[in-house]
Amino acid sequence: MKKLFPLLSIVIILSMMLSACGAAASEQPKVLRVWIQWGDNPQQIQEMFDQYTKISGYKIEVTAPIDDDKVLPGLTGTEAPDILVLSGGDLVKSYYKEGLVDELGQVIKDGNIDMNDFYAGPLNACKQGDKILCLPWGFDLYALYWNKDLFEAAGLDPNKPPATMEELVEYADKLTKVSANGKLEQIGFIPDLSWDHSDLYASMFGGFWYNEDGTQLTVNSQPMIDAMTWQQQFYSKYGYENVLEFAGGFGEYNSPDHPFFSGKVAMMVDGEWIAGPNYIPTFKPELNYGVAAFPPPASNPERAGTAVAQGTVVVIPSGGKQKVEAAKLLAWMMSPDIVAAEFCRNANLPTSKKAAENPCFNVNEGFNTFVKLAAGSNIKALITTPISLEINDAFGTASEEILHTGADVKSTLDKIQAEYEGKLK
Amino acid sequence: MDELSNVKFSWPPKFRKWTHSEKNNFKLGMIFLLPWTIGFAIFTAYPMIASFIYSFSIYHSKRPLEWVGLQNYATMLTDDLFWKALWNTIYMVGIGVPLTLFASFLCAVLLNLKVKGQAFYRVIYFLPSIVPTVAGTILWIWLLNPQSGLVNTTLASIGLDGPNWRADPDWAKPALMLLGLWGMGGTIMIYLSGLQDVPTHLIEAAELDGANWWQRLWNITIPMVSPITLFNLITGVIGMFQYFAQAYVFRGGGELGAPLNSTMFYSVYLYQNGFLFLKMGYASAMAWVLFVIILLCTLALLKVSDRFTYYAG
Repeated sequence: MKKLFPLLSIVIILSMMLSACGAAASEQPKVLRVWIQWGDNPQQIQEMFDQYTKISGYKIEVTAPIDDDKVLPGLTGTEAPDILVLSGGDLVKSYYKEGLVDELGQVIKDGNIDMNDFYAGPLNACKQGDKILCLPWGFDLYALYWNKDLFEAAGLDPNKPPATMEELVEYADKLTKVSANGKLEQIGFIPDLSWDHSDLYASMFGGFWYNEDGTQLTVNSQPMIDAMTWQQQFYSKYGYENVLEFAGGFGEYNSPDHPFFSGKVAMMVDGEWIAGPNYIPTFKPELNYGVAAFPPPASNPERAGTAVAQGTVVVIPSGGKQKVEAAKLLAWMMSPDIVAAEFCRNANLPTSKKAAENPCFNVNEGFNTFVKLAAGSNIKALITTPISLEINDAFGTASEEILHTGADVKSTLDKIQAEYEGKLK
Repeated sequence: MDELSNVKFSWPPKFRKWTHSEKNNFKLGMIFLLPWTIGFAIFTAYPMIASFIYSFSIYHSKRPLEWVGLQNYATMLTDDLFWKALWNTIYMVGIGVPLTLFASFLCAVLLNLKVKGQAFYRVIYFLPSIVPTVAGTILWIWLLNPQSGLVNTTLASIGLDGPNWRADPDWAKPALMLLGLWGMGGTIMIYLSGLQDVPTHLIEAAELDGANWWQRLWNITIPMVSPITLFNLITGVIGMFQYFAQAYVFRGGGELGAPLNSTMFYSVYLYQNGFLFLKMGYASAMAWVLFVIILLCTLALLKVSDRFTYYAG
């Protein structure tokens, strides 16, 4: 009896604990977990998802922004989120290849998601053959911003942006100021300001570093050579080190010291959010600027209005445990009202055509240019592959070598082609 | 010898039966060891064994491993970026670590001088080492701005044209070394404690013999703190081979390793392969190669340390 007493006590305590857990579990609300890779204002995002709780009874636990480092362990672990929102589609095909995310065909069917409501450009980026691996939620386009005051000071018509890529080069020359000691004081255009925009320039020259369906590497194709050569001239003309030194002194992107806001750069390629309320109207409301689609080469006027769509995509992790509920939540997220609510707030473009009609996107002239551009027929999908990041990284270094050190365009691209074309197969 | 010759050996060995209290002590000891043992098994031993197995495979998290033998290790031989990353890391180990040791020792010697405000100076030199790595690195991104940064404006004030620290591949690593020197407070403190252990009677005897400051430093202080130097050297080498956070933050929003892969260090490339390219098998192989490199370096340093390390007493 003496020995039996402690044993009995343990059994009783354990059974009480287990029954308490059981009771607690049965009382807990049903929960779906959503991870979002971006999110400057997590509370706002949570409030938006709380609307879904009201109609479904499911509590949505939003984690935003989720650290990049936690995405992969989250997808491979035993507690995968039910929905994952990625800031870009670069890794979707890698994740699918590894079995970490689901193909969405059935989800789209069950959720009655209107596929005709998506803009073709961002949707195509989610396709692999006839499979749809993700759904675009919001997207970005890049266009040409120009400083009207600097245009006027250089004797250019402030309301007339360059109409061709060749004209852009001429304008850039006129807008560049070099001091008596040879140092740059103002520059007309830096092709890779903030980050690389070779995807846009290559599209303007009629190509990309993959073929249309992403099955072949075409990094040393003629359009790529033309695009890199065109960019290189902006560095070679004023001296590679000179331009780099000038660019090294640029202020922070998210600040009034941004080189375009502070008048150090007269023309730049950047996205729609810059015209939105969080950038120019916040950091430099008095900036006198214009926005237009990036100009095509003179020889190909039909490419006017070309831009490459890239941005937020939603996937369903294969390790999620509540697939049916996740599918319903995904369908709700894709409804035009929700898309409009989320992307008006972020000043990004909605992937839903109906959402784009929402008056909240009528922000200002600059932003409206992007909304119109999005509806155009020349919007390309950012082509991705299962080894996108690896190739992008290698191409990024090659681009740096070409633009910043004057490396030979053809041989540098040939090297990438030789190294990676086998890996893509 | 006599005692030993009296011991009778038998096979199988006969163990004395433990007393009740000895048994209890043994159990208690095991219970105390258990938390560490479980932690070690789960968080150290298992990942090490798993990564060793992964290093011979193509790793798939949701599918069985694909056994590829030594292929991952062979790939390293022909991977240019692997060699570039290794070279960058060796550059930092070869130049950055000795530079930090030298500068730390120099600062410690100065901070050991009996001057007014000694404690204040010590705090000032130690403070940067408690600034979080990310915050410190961002601060240095501002300081190293080629046009408006404090470093280049100071250089300009004495007529020197400062480099484009972060964009020039030749200057990116020296910029990181500068950042490392700023945060060497921990090493200084270890040296400082070592300097305070240098016997004063030796210094006084040398003074009486007419030894000047330099002779006392070279012949007494440096040998007496040589075990501290060895400790700092080994921990510095190990830390530098695993250099990651500063390089990760220092690129700003640029590519990993920018400019032109000049800050692509071994651990950064390992991370890139494992967590971005999803090549966990290759990353595991890289981790084991790094383990062997660090092990060999440490053993080599311990071996040659006999020549320059003096253990008093």
